[in-house]
Amino acid sequence: MSRDEPITAESIDRLCSAAQLPLPAERRRALAPMLAQLVAAANELSRKMSGSGYRGIVPILRFPER
Amino acid sequence: MTHPDVQNLTIREAAARIQRSALSPVELTDALLQRIERVNKTLNAYITVCAQQAREIAQAAETMIRAGYHLGPLHGIPIAIKDNIYTRGIRTTAGSKILGDFVPDEDATVITRLKRAGAVIIGKTNLHEFAWGGTTDNPHYGTCRNPWNPERFPAGSSGGSGAAVAARTCLGALGTDTGGSIRLPSSVNGIVGIRPTIGRVSNHNVVPLAWTMDTVSPMTRTVDDCVLMFEVIAGHDPLDEHSAQAPVSDYRAELTRGARGLRVGLIRDYSLTHVQPAVGATIRAALQTLQSLGVEVEEIAMPSIHGNISAQLTIESCEPSTYHQEWLRTRPADYGDDVRTLLELGEMYLATHYLQAQRYRSVLRKEFLDGFRRVDVFVTPTLPFTATPCGATTVAIEGTREEDMLSAIMQFTGVPSLAGLPALSLPVGFDADGLPVGMQVIGRPFDEATLFRLGHAYQQATDWHTRAPAL
Repeated sequence: MSRDEPITAESIDRLCSAAQLPLPAERRRALAPMLAQLVAAANELSRKMSGSGYRGIVPILRFPER
Repeated sequence: MTHPDVQNLTIREAAARIQRSALSPVELTDALLQRIERVNKTLNAYITVCAQQAREIAQAAETMIRAGYHLGPLHGIPIAIKDNIYTRGIRTTAGSKILGDFVPDEDATVITRLKRAGAVIIGKTNLHEFAWGGTTDNPHYGTCRNPWNPERFPAGSSGGSGAAVAARTCLGALGTDTGGSIRLPSSVNGIVGIRPTIGRVSNHNVVPLAWTMDTVSPMTRTVDDCVLMFEVIAGHDPLDEHSAQAPVSDYRAELTRGARGLRVGLIRDYSLTHVQPAVGATIRAALQTLQSLGVEVEEIAMPSIHGNISAQLTIESCEPSTYHQEWLRTRPADYGDDVRTLLELGEMYLATHYLQAQRYRSVLRKEFLDGFRRVDVFVTPTLPFTATPCGATTVAIEGTREEDMLSAIMQFTGVPSLAGLPALSLPVGFDADGLPVGMQVIGRPFDEATLFRLGHAYQQATDWHTRAPAL
């Protein structure tokens, strides 16, 4: 599978199925290009954060007091 | 003092007159209610106006004060409340159809604290639906408009509170800020707004947007007034399990120290990059004013800052979508289309996307904390542009290239939200069309005092905050 495979309406179908989110077909088609852009940016950030230089970084889920 | 003048009083000015019985809280509240009636048809800043209760509480305040019971500077002061903050017995819609009939039986902690200080709640303000957006173009309660030019937006999501304060219909307001929702409307409405350090102010009984970024805070015309409200609502709340135990600073003691000696950081290739020319020129002029007050300015590199938009969108999509899961399945058609779309998209990120974004926040926060060894605050514009036409979904920042509004709007405000830092938006001038420009000042964790100190010094040297829209 190529890293650059687009997000398609079929991708949205599978995601909706996994999330048990019933969306009409026209909404699924409309979401595909928007999700493609968002996921591309999120994947780029994920690639950066997966680098060896960030191995020790933990997620912020609650900020420390100071 | 005649009725037309009282709307222009600051909280401090009104408080001094009320305390010595030179101004009646009833007269003040009546004057503001009349002003709401006159301008709200144009601005649509309020969803609910609490006229009867406000008059009753104002009367009670007057009775108490005349008998010598004065609760403090907010006693008898009319304050507007963003409509995602619970107010007992008063409809709290969150700008939505889904909560259109919701009447809480409890106050938010911030409301409890304001009431104990004697504030008069004058109304509940319009917001972007469920606070998930930056325009306050609300499909259920109408488009909120900017008092400086009603064809322009008031930003959001606390657009109603921003417009209400700027239009002199209240002396202060509460807003909420997740990715910029206090600072953005403060900027385009020409007022002061602060995003506190996460956990500094209780979120108890506030309708959430994104749990790891939500905050509540004041919006006022002056920094001084912001301090008066902030010191009432700040502090640990046992009802909010994420509320910080850190002691509350004496903001008043720091306020009048002046700006001399403070060090301001500009982030290289970021702070003044990708902004409309008028915004850039106005921020540079504001920095020169600060330098004339004895502030030092230096450039700091922050190499990780450019991942912030994606991280912001990922977190601010996934968390609201989690909160809204049931309604999105049972009442999808009751959302406005823009919010419904964002909630649907937020269900489709991977867990690893979300956690990598949360790891990015650690990196960004560390770079800021390293930077705070050299400077006391960082400065950026609050927004890279001034108020756009109502209904616009894109904006041109450089040249004529139109950009998506949501990403553009969070260009600068997302960063302190991600890093858990406090940030103040200050009015610093106007563009050629008379639209306000705001400057964002970002501080160390729990160092709201330095933000207030710098902002107050700036306002002592300038008069932008005294100007009023011609409504």
